[in-house]
Amino acid sequence: MVGEGNVRSHPAELISFGRDATPLHEGSADVVALPGSTAEVAAVVQVANRRGLALIPRGAGTNLAAATVPIGGGIVMSLTRMDQVLEVNRGEMLAVVQPGVTTAELGRAADRVGLFYPPDPGSRETCTIGGNIATNAGGLRGLKYGVTRDYVLGLELVLASGETIRTGGRLIKDVAGYDLTRLIVGSEGTLGVVTEATLALRPRPEASTTGVAYFAELAHAAAAVDAILAFGVLPATLEFLDDVCIGVVEDYAGLGLRRDAGALLLFGDDGTEASARLCVEQMAEICRAGGALEITTASQIAEAEDLLAARRCTLPALARVAPITILEDVAVPRPRLVEMVEAVAEITEKLGLACGTFGHAGDGNLHPTLLLERDDKRARQAAEQAVARIFAKAIELGGTISGEHGIGLTKKPYLVDQLGADHLALLQRVKTAFDPAGILNPAKLGS
Amino acid sequence: MTTPPFPAELLDACISCGYCLPACPTYQLTKDEASSPRGRINLMKAINLRRIEIDNPVAKEQASFCLGCRACEPVCPAGVQYGSLLEQWRSHAWQGGGPTVFALTTAVRWPVLLRTAGAITRPAKHRAESEYQYLLGCFERLLYAKLSKAMTDVFPQLDINPNQGCCGALHAHNGHPETGARLAHELGDRLDGTIVTTAGGCAAHLAEILGRDRVRELSEWIIDDGALGLDTLRPIEIDGRPARISIQDSCHLRNGLGVSAQIRTIVQRLGDLVELPSAGVCCGAAGTYSILRKQDANAVFRSRLDEIAQLQPDYVAVVNPGCYRQVATQLRRSRHAPRVVHLVELIAAALHT
Repeated sequence: MVGEGNVRSHPAELISFGRDATPLHEGSADVVALPGSTAEVAAVVQVANRRGLALIPRGAGTNLAAATVPIGGGIVMSLTRMDQVLEVNRGEMLAVVQPGVTTAELGRAADRVGLFYPPDPGSRETCTIGGNIATNAGGLRGLKYGVTRDYVLGLELVLASGETIRTGGRLIKDVAGYDLTRLIVGSEGTLGVVTEATLALRPRPEASTTGVAYFAELAHAAAAVDAILAFGVLPATLEFLDDVCIGVVEDYAGLGLRRDAGALLLFGDDGTEASARLCVEQMAEICRAGGALEITTASQIAEAEDLLAARRCTLPALARVAPITILEDVAVPRPRLVEMVEAVAEITEKLGLACGTFGHAGDGNLHPTLLLERDDKRARQAAEQAVARIFAKAIELGGTISGEHGIGLTKKPYLVDQLGADHLALLQRVKTAFDPAGILNPAKLGS
Repeated sequence: MTTPPFPAELLDACISCGYCLPACPTYQLTKDEASSPRGRINLMKAINLRRIEIDNPVAKEQASFCLGCRACEPVCPAGVQYGSLLEQWRSHAWQGGGPTVFALTTAVRWPVLLRTAGAITRPAKHRAESEYQYLLGCFERLLYAKLSKAMTDVFPQLDINPNQGCCGALHAHNGHPETGARLAHELGDRLDGTIVTTAGGCAAHLAEILGRDRVRELSEWIIDDGALGLDTLRPIEIDGRPARISIQDSCHLRNGLGVSAQIRTIVQRLGDLVELPSAGVCCGAAGTYSILRKQDANAVFRSRLDEIAQLQPDYVAVVNPGCYRQVATQLRRSRHAPRVVHLVELIAAALHT
């Protein structure tokens, strides 16, 4: 079906496919298939459908909500071998790619013809477009450029029953039928298997500029973000890190960041040389007025890239502090960011937990990361309580339990708190319409 | 109950983020998670937890399939010491063997065997009382005496101890870390002072065992320590234009010691630097890998054939004798074959013109 060399069934070969990048969650695959084409994907899905076997699609396994963990066994289908950029069209400003293309590779393919693919999740060098679509991945440019959903024009999809359909296409305007493309984006592999995607690209900005402001406290940085947005600019980058995160990023990247500051705000913009510079100067001025301890700006693209690259490494760099890193992903309306930041600090402090917080301040998306020792049972329990309280606070502030990482297994018990029972029941009916036998990524969204 | 084979703190450092996947040549070949650094660490974790045996055939195959290039280390934000884990893994589960490798790793332990085999054509002599001791790497002695000649021509200040032995890098890579460490210490005792080497692989191993300050690889010795003024070099010309020179990095030099910019600074002085996109990716030599796993070594190199055909350099400069052999062998079959040279050979040519 997929060729003998592309099936794994020896128990030791399956170990890595039982998990993704989520700590403390592990399932076990019964068999792994690495198909090389849509036809092969369809053939595998048909077998799963006939025999009623669970089928868990998977990209590069960088998920942080255990969305690809095969909790009840079954066939894990890795789409990493389908890694071809099929087309980059400058005139139509779009790309057609297979699901196993990495986000960074698509970015480079677009760059070669003077275009640009904006979504850039932290794991962009590793993670795949298929996974980005399944989780509606965001990244560092969400505020100005939106997230994966804003770039998906069309999909090729293998249904649970084994048929292959297409949704959307190359058109900007197309209202024929329900917008299934948007439904599939963020469906975490529970409604079908994406085998090809048509993605919108943008003209590559001429220049980009980045600045760094240090603050005494994370809440001060959050307040500066509030002031920046109220001023009426829409920058490409507004990222913040607390002192714990600054330390580990500096340990790894050695960029000369100030370790004695309580928080760092990375701000930047792209566009024309003049517009980017003006925006950054305005933001620097607002930070200064907001009590920044120090401000530096990087005018060279290479320097700006170094800063962003270092920022993308924050989560794994936190492993330098502790072996278990429980990363959360709440997002709140931007004017409530300060409250959320303060709540996280209060909750973790009360429970005696070490925590490093970073996030996409500009879009209200916060990544508080609880840092646990391997065998500390008390901390494990405290972390569960902290997560529940952080979620409750986010919902209370009109926010969400997940901005961009997805629901997976880890947040599924909390989904009802945000959506309510009626909404959840509708999700289940949608799931049933697509996948009546419940074979696709079972125990996750919609089940 | 015996102790687990891997130190828990080394394994705990990996939180499975997957940032290493794109840097791994064997993952790029297979796109199979199990052939990635994260996948291999998952196997080590399973061994430590006794979920699988240390001699599990899948695990052994992965220990062998890994190039040991350590490209995963510089891209790891968590600072996982993969190279160290791999050496420990191989010491427990896989000893790269076969008659050729056995002969090689045995021969290099006793220089006299190399000499009786006629491999050293001219026994080295002490030249100068110097704090800089030239390491005659084993591959260099066996295959590339011309390289040693270029070194001694360019750097009269180098002393050569004829009774050197082997640094033990190959032993460490092939599952014998204790022998590897012992040989390095013995060599360090014989070559007191700063050890200068043309072999990136030897440099990284010696630096790990003897300490970073005892070892200087050629390009860092020139650039960081000023062993040779760049203004003494005249650009190499071909048909009246500057030579187009590409580089093949040495993995342990680049990923283990962080030396790569220095090579480029020198090459820019020697001609036009034509950077191959895969310059920093393992060429497949990887110690004895190209002998033990010829087909995989060929596959790892393949990306460069297209790049070289497209960019058409006149030279590919290497900084490690193992890479010298692999790149030369691979390019022999290629139509647009540039000349493969060690960096020091280019430097010698630039001094003479």
